[in-house]
Amino acid sequence: MPVCEVLVSDLERLVGRRLDLGEVETLLPKLKCEVEYVENESVVYEATHDRPDLFSAEGLARALKGLLRVELGLREFRAKSSIEAYNEGPEYRPYLLLATVHGLRLDEEAVKQVMQLQEKLHMTYGRDRRKVSIGVYDLSRVKPPVRYIEADPDSVSFRPLDFEHELTLREILTRHPKGVQYGYLIASYDKYPLLVDSEGTVLSMPPIINSEETRVTEETRDVVIDVTATDLEAARGVLTVMATSLAERGEWIGVVRVSGKVAATAPSLEPQRTSLDLSLVEKLAGIKVSPSEAADYLREMRFEARIVGDGVLEVLVPAYRLDILHPVDLVEEVVMGYGYERVEAEALPPQHMGREHPLEKFSRRIREIVVGLGFQEVNNYMLTSREVLYTRMNAPEIPTVEVANPRQEAFTCLRTWLIPQLVQVLSRSKHAEYPQRIFECGDVVLVAGEGEVWEERRLALALSDTKVTLTDIHAAVDALMRIIGVEYELRERVHPSMIEGRTASILVGGVEAGFMGELHPQVILNWELEKPVAAAELSLTKLLEYLEEEA
Amino acid sequence: MRDVEELRARGLVEVRKDLVEVASLTEEGARYLSLKMPEERLGRLLEELEEFDLADVARIASEAGIELREDEVKVGLLHLARLRAVRVEGGRVRLVSRAALSKALAEAAAMREALASIKEGRVVDRSTLRALRRRRLVSIKRTARILVCPTGKACRLLSEGRLIGARVITALTPEVIVSGAWRGAFFKKYDLSIPPPRLYPGRKHPYLDFLDMVRELLVAMGFEEMKGPHVELELWNFDVLFQAQDHPARDIHDTFYLKYPERGRVDDDRLLERVKAVHEYGGGTGSRGWRYRWDPLRALRLVLRTQTTAVSVRTLYERGEGEYRCFALDRVFRPESLDAKHSMEFYQLEGIIVGRGVTFRHLLGFFNELARELGLGPVKVKPAYFPFTEPSVEGFIKHRKLGWMEVFPGGMFRPEVLWPLGVRECNVAAWGIGIDRIAMAVLDVDDIRLLFSQDLEFLRSWKSPLWVR
Repeated sequence: MPVCEVLVSDLERLVGRRLDLGEVETLLPKLKCEVEYVENESVVYEATHDRPDLFSAEGLARALKGLLRVELGLREFRAKSSIEAYNEGPEYRPYLLLATVHGLRLDEEAVKQVMQLQEKLHMTYGRDRRKVSIGVYDLSRVKPPVRYIEADPDSVSFRPLDFEHELTLREILTRHPKGVQYGYLIASYDKYPLLVDSEGTVLSMPPIINSEETRVTEETRDVVIDVTATDLEAARGVLTVMATSLAERGEWIGVVRVSGKVAATAPSLEPQRTSLDLSLVEKLAGIKVSPSEAADYLREMRFEARIVGDGVLEVLVPAYRLDILHPVDLVEEVVMGYGYERVEAEALPPQHMGREHPLEKFSRRIREIVVGLGFQEVNNYMLTSREVLYTRMNAPEIPTVEVANPRQEAFTCLRTWLIPQLVQVLSRSKHAEYPQRIFECGDVVLVAGEGEVWEERRLALALSDTKVTLTDIHAAVDALMRIIGVEYELRERVHPSMIEGRTASILVGGVEAGFMGELHPQVILNWELEKPVAAAELSLTKLLEYLEEEA
Repeated sequence: MRDVEELRARGLVEVRKDLVEVASLTEEGARYLSLKMPEERLGRLLEELEEFDLADVARIASEAGIELREDEVKVGLLHLARLRAVRVEGGRVRLVSRAALSKALAEAAAMREALASIKEGRVVDRSTLRALRRRRLVSIKRTARILVCPTGKACRLLSEGRLIGARVITALTPEVIVSGAWRGAFFKKYDLSIPPPRLYPGRKHPYLDFLDMVRELLVAMGFEEMKGPHVELELWNFDVLFQAQDHPARDIHDTFYLKYPERGRVDDDRLLERVKAVHEYGGGTGSRGWRYRWDPLRALRLVLRTQTTAVSVRTLYERGEGEYRCFALDRVFRPESLDAKHSMEFYQLEGIIVGRGVTFRHLLGFFNELARELGLGPVKVKPAYFPFTEPSVEGFIKHRKLGWMEVFPGGMFRPEVLWPLGVRECNVAAWGIGIDRIAMAVLDVDDIRLLFSQDLEFLRSWKSPLWVR
């Protein structure tokens, strides 16, 4: 979630009255903004992803005005048509929308807020500029109409932001920090996207960098905002948030008609008209709110609301509220207006018995028995590595669920058996007193080809001491089986991690439910251990199935 | 030692510990003691022959019935030459002074005497000992010697007849019991101040023990436990939860995708159609939807589930409308680098309360009850945002050390989530709690890695909370 910073003095200017810090700190959570810290005159808060209109001081002040009852209901924006533009941009970034905002009064902090909003929108709705990117320019430096074109990377050059001299488009990708960071979005294409004015002055190379020529400064009075995108809906939303936020510091919004490949007129400022049946508030939130109360809460939240029938409100949703998809979203607004802290918690007595999952219940019984046999329980990650599962165990690889984007070498795949990590525990516990008797009850994941994945609950035991043999682990398995009343047979088997002739399958109902053995000396050395280890692994899933069939 | 310690504590004996050096013969020393020193053996040959070829020594010695190894010839000559008794020139050994030879032999005999003394445990003077050590004939070990002397008090008590001999029993044995030897005997008093031997019993993992307790709690609150796969389709992990296909949580930085196997299967095409409709235009829910093209292939990709909420929606799909409540307590995965605060694998406590009359207030009621049972104190709530619930809430508790902690996120499932699953009439209160953070607070652990510690000593020493409140 985006973390934003605003100056209290700037908020005061926008709200039009003095604010004290305590007030700001209590009001922000009512907008789902979590105050991280307050330092000198600035407030740092985390906004939620669904409220891009709160990513900067302008929208935040607009919302605070409602909560403080300085201004209620819908914020009306003055709008008229302004410049024209043509879209002849590339197929791979096909959408262009523009807006202008006029009569701005900016200072250093205001410019900072515009940049903050642009950056947070890039990170969230823009998906780090992949989906949507935004540019803001000083309109006085631009000679409309504006054209969105495809340009040759080597024959066009301009002076990118913060640079002293011109670079070709291709040079920008390798020499400007933003080019290096975002160049991958366009580098593979023959032509690069470019925004130019009627005289050929470059405004920007979306989605990479603006030109120094058209930079917004404290003297800027009118701005052009452009949004290029791979998704038209997202572009519309983002442009509306940008334009309406900037309009909080200006006089009017200019509507721009884009013609060409994809014709579009923006920004959309028309509120969305919807209705809210208050019975939904009661059904979902469990609170009774009268229509006039609800309308008032909604107006505090900067919606327009009008009672149109018996417990039904007509609600106008401001265009910048991208989060209102369904009447339930308005329910939350009403509850927020009502105050979460005022909603009374209510206990709901259960109508049915609770029940542990049979596998968990069975596992718990087994764990209790194994604890009684003197084993210490351990808890390992399901994520581990082939090194642990196979290489160190001298075991051949079997199909294994493997992560495509691992973070650490030690955690690249899901375990297919439990014993390796028990041996890992022994290997990391050589300083602990012997004998060491440990066990784990956990899940393994097995694969039989694409799309065939299944999980098994397993139990594994391991014993280590100066002298340990198969007898010791056999005795433990035997005790467990006697306690749960399962008859089992042993059959000699070979396992590459174990000593040949000292390894056995454990058969239950004729099916192999597990195995036990003495760890091969080479495997013991692979783990930098010196003492003998005997281990067993049993499928609790299979044991439970067997017991359920028997019952 | 326990007995001595007890006598000392009663002031009856004085205990002095001395570090002493004990010399013992090396293998070489023992050989010289029995065969005589090499210079003595060589000296005997010289006394008889006065001069001979060095190359012939072995033969001459064996004819004379004297055992003399090659290295011993060297050692012997060295010592005889040192005292100018012999000279070796051009491969011949020649006796030069009989007086010097007898002096050398006397010295060697003295050495041998010392070896005999050491063997019998007698003390020899330091310079001889040094010479023997230099020749590697003895080795020195340092040991502690404990001297126990009766104190004046003990002597007095004894003379006054107040110390009497008696049979003392330290531990009963079957013989002692049956023979009646215990009659009239003293039972030695157990010293309460001495720590007992340390036992390492079998025991549950304290964290899993905590999870068992949580499970018990949920069952007592009327919840049925549900389970779902760790390797999950994006469909259940995200799409059904109304998270758009380009939602940031679906980025490779936030979700583990699979290299193998890559895709799974869904048999219910109608479900896919409904999910598509909801994402694209809201389906039959009255929602605007996310207004983009939904890709069914994307939904079939496999991930390591990032939220147990996937289990909740699977349950809703299977059970549909009704009055029930379910929970899952299981592992989820996120691409984090493991450190004290982050883990790529952790537990979530997930749940749903389903019913026609279930409201947001019941969700808050559940939070309060759970917090009370876990001993976490009162819950404070704030509005929150989750893509699949509306209204959404975050519950905070105040921890005595860590201050306000976000522990209870939840909300009412959105119609866009419920509609494709066939739930049209009922409300569903849902929550997903990062139980590890609560466990850390309860178990007083400040490093999340300790919940999965592979150090047996740590696991053995970890205190189990008893849930006494």
